Amino acid sequence: MMKVYECCGIESVTKKVYCSSCGKEITNEIDVPEEGTVYSYTVIQVPPAQFAHLAPYTVALIQLKNSKAKVTARILESVAIGDQVKLDSIVDGAYVFKKVGSSKVLHNS
Amino acid sequence: MTTVYVHGIGMTKFGSFEDKSLKDLLIEASIGALKDANLPKIDAVFVGNFMGGTLSNQEILGAIVANDLGLGYIPTAKLEGACASGGIALRQGVLSILSGEYENVLVVGAEKMKHASTATVTQFINTAMDQSTTEKEAGLTFPGFFGTVANRYMYETGAQKEHLAKVALKNRENAMNNPLAQFQKPTSIEEIVNARMVTDPLGLFDCSPITDGAAAVVLSSKPSNIKVRASSQSSGPTLMQDAIDLLSLPAVKISGERAYEKAGLGPEDIDVAEIHDCFSMTEILSIEELGFFPKLEGWKAVEAGETKVGGRIPVNTSGGLLSKGHPIGATGISQIYQLVRQLRGNAPNQLAKQPKIALAQNLGGTGAYSVVHILERV
Ligand SMILES: [Zn+2]
Repeated sequence: MMKVYECCGIESVTKKVYCSSCGKEITNEIDVPEEGTVYSYTVIQVPPAQFAHLAPYTVALIQLKNSKAKVTARILESVAIGDQVKLDSIVDGAYVFKKVGSSKVLHNS
Repeated sequence: MTTVYVHGIGMTKFGSFEDKSLKDLLIEASIGALKDANLPKIDAVFVGNFMGGTLSNQEILGAIVANDLGLGYIPTAKLEGACASGGIALRQGVLSILSGEYENVLVVGAEKMKHASTATVTQFINTAMDQSTTEKEAGLTFPGFFGTVANRYMYETGAQKEHLAKVALKNRENAMNNPLAQFQKPTSIEEIVNARMVTDPLGLFDCSPITDGAAAVVLSSKPSNIKVRASSQSSGPTLMQDAIDLLSLPAVKISGERAYEKAGLGPEDIDVAEIHDCFSMTEILSIEELGFFPKLEGWKAVEAGETKVGGRIPVNTSGGLLSKGHPIGATGISQIYQLVRQLRGNAPNQLAKQPKIALAQNLGGTGAYSVVHILERV
């Protein structure tokens, strides 16, 4: 499961100290499944030195299932907006997701 | 009440200068601004710079500028806010005069980048994103953020790569008339769309280049014919996964609203603007956030030529970051350089009707900072 932090209806994978809406300390932690849909993505062709060995690679912003929060992850395959993805592994502190369903298949079914 | 005026402007050519150091660039632009202001006694210096420490192994830029110009042992400071470093330095200069502490202030921004490799520069530019997160470890880059934004923008609006290309083409056409710009070679939509991909869907022409250069401004509480009507700043999310709306840059929106409120003006009053086009996508988002066009319709305005010289609201008559170049710490101040020339009536791409109100917007990080200044010809 993945942790999401909530206050005043704002959900984020980032643990902030105070809620920018009500000013109170954020204490509500929610467990959400490590899966979701691709909200958007890019294919990085010009990498920073640290990731040169991976290029080109896909990075996506994933809308987490059962949550308003999104998470940034590397994706093993090429993807399109709306594709379903699931956590594959955590590599050197990075979430790596894999594609488990296509947006097009969904439309057809 | 104190009012701040612009007395002098200076700028180096933007480009690649192997034989000039970061200090040389700072001094050259400063001399230009000081001469333009008729050499007033300077009370303080504010410097905008992002990578002096990492790429040039040089800090204490404020004291160096004061020392080498021979300004005396006056107070100085360097301001850092990634690509908004110049705008933030300018704003601190404005605030320092408004506080009553100083009468005349020199603000100068510079960056020296061309001597480093693209991989090294990309790595250091990434320090403009939160480095202690899973997002950074996923390999998201600074251009990658705007590539991700662009794919979603196109998905929601129906805009095409050609619309992004039209921003790049407009700014290149403007730069062709600006002798200080880095890129003056003509291009075409075909060349832009087919250029090497940097981060899908953004190609080489959609991304601002690596540039050496500097720009400077002398501000004063004594009247001149260019008044600073408003100076404002806002922060925004420092991570893509923290954006509540990926297609919004809240820092731009809020800094714009605050500037309009301070100036008692609205977007309809602005005659000419320099907008932080670090990527073609960014210019489209920011013309929406600043209220020039409705949300998700900026691309239509670009298509209709409304942001061209002669359009309803000309944007980046200097060539913008995309073609004038983007020496990070200098950028926010070079926007003021172009706008002051527009207000004085002697700019490259001078508007047929000499403008009276001008707006500059300078962005830092992936929307982590935004600074807006509004100038008025009086
Ligand atoms: Zn709250």
